[in-house]
Amino acid sequence: MIKHGLAYGWLSTRRRVPSMVLPIVTTATGAFLLVLVLGMAAGISEQAATLGHADEIRRAVVLIAVTVLLVGVVEVAVSTTRTVASRTRELGVLGATGVRRPPVVAALLVEPVVAALLGALAGAALAVAAAALMSVTGMADSGISVGGTALGVVLAVVVSAVAAVATSFVPTWRAASRPPIRSLTAGA
Amino acid sequence: MTLADERTTEQNRAAEPVVQVTGAWKLHKLGDEVVKALVAADLTVLPGEFVCLMGPSGSGKSTLLNMIGGLDRPTKGTVAINGQDTAALTESQFAALRHDTIGYIFQSYNLIPFLSAVENVELPLMFEPYDRTALRRRAVELLELVGLGHRIDHVPPKMSGGEQQRTAIARSLIGNPRLILADEPTANLDHKTGATVVRLLRELCADLGVTVVASTHDPTVADEASRVVRMKDGEIQ
Repeated sequence: MIKHGLAYGWLSTRRRVPSMVLPIVTTATGAFLLVLVLGMAAGISEQAATLGHADEIRRAVVLIAVTVLLVGVVEVAVSTTRTVASRTRELGVLGATGVRRPPVVAALLVEPVVAALLGALAGAALAVAAAALMSVTGMADSGISVGGTALGVVLAVVVSAVAAVATSFVPTWRAASRPPIRSLTAGA
Repeated sequence: MTLADERTTEQNRAAEPVVQVTGAWKLHKLGDEVVKALVAADLTVLPGEFVCLMGPSGSGKSTLLNMIGGLDRPTKGTVAINGQDTAALTESQFAALRHDTIGYIFQSYNLIPFLSAVENVELPLMFEPYDRTALRRRAVELLELVGLGHRIDHVPPKMSGGEQQRTAIARSLIGNPRLILADEPTANLDHKTGATVVRLLRELCADLGVTVVASTHDPTVADEASRVVRMKDGEIQ
């Protein structure tokens, strides 16, 4: 039954592409910043060491990276909440026709996860392209590390996907648990 | 069980009311005031009937309909579907009962805007392990039955109100329900389209042996019904 929920989720995701643009863009922004920050972190730390402020600068870079990561997670959470809210009536119809809750929740998780993955991949790809451009043109004096960039890409994709599931599950489960009549009359 | 016993059981089941509402009350608390949405309602609906709950806004007809469908529960009293008292059912058990027994038609159609007409009809069974080809065939057949065989790939925003409601009728029939609950099925339609939709609903249900309970304030629906139940201020008159 979960399998059929996921199939419906994939169908609805393909049909709702326009509504996914905003979540994709917000997730991509977070991923872009994270990959760039981590790509440049090693170079900045090295340069800072020559100035005698290595620890201070490293802490600042880590702080920036964590902040960017948290902002990204919040962006994914906001997008998810918006997606669930926009599908309230659909949940009411599914509830009224007696569709069970687990496959419905599975169906509604597909879109946020796909949006988060697409956004993370797009943001990471742009960041890698930007990093390459900066290296070639000499815009990043401290250099961009391949290892840091790769770590950024992996972190961006994994954190976005995990954040999408973690922040979607509770609101989706709650929305699917609401009496169908409340979902059907919401906004009516 | 012998064949004769099976026949007897089947006959008893046929005579058994599809819906039996006994002494149902629904009270809402609004601040300090208690609003009586439904007052000691008794209603028996037999197999094959087309019962119309008629009354002005706030008369309790939608409340009664929602109670029959388990979308709302009575404060007091009982609702039995196919002889089964629903009071003891959990939400999930009632959802299963709705899924297997009841088809819903809503005033505002409630079709999913990004699904085509045929996918909307399939929706209640999309989450089940049915053969997809057979499900699609059945959905197309139902759309043809409601005269929308040429609109199967159209999405609701590209369809008229009448077409959307006919799609909703097809959707309500996809699970071969024993009972269809229609909440103000013509309220968003012009008179002529409303009359066509109700006639279609009555004919289809008569052909398929489905029982219908519809709430309305539209006399057109009442004209097609086999029985009209009038309601006022939460009471059955």
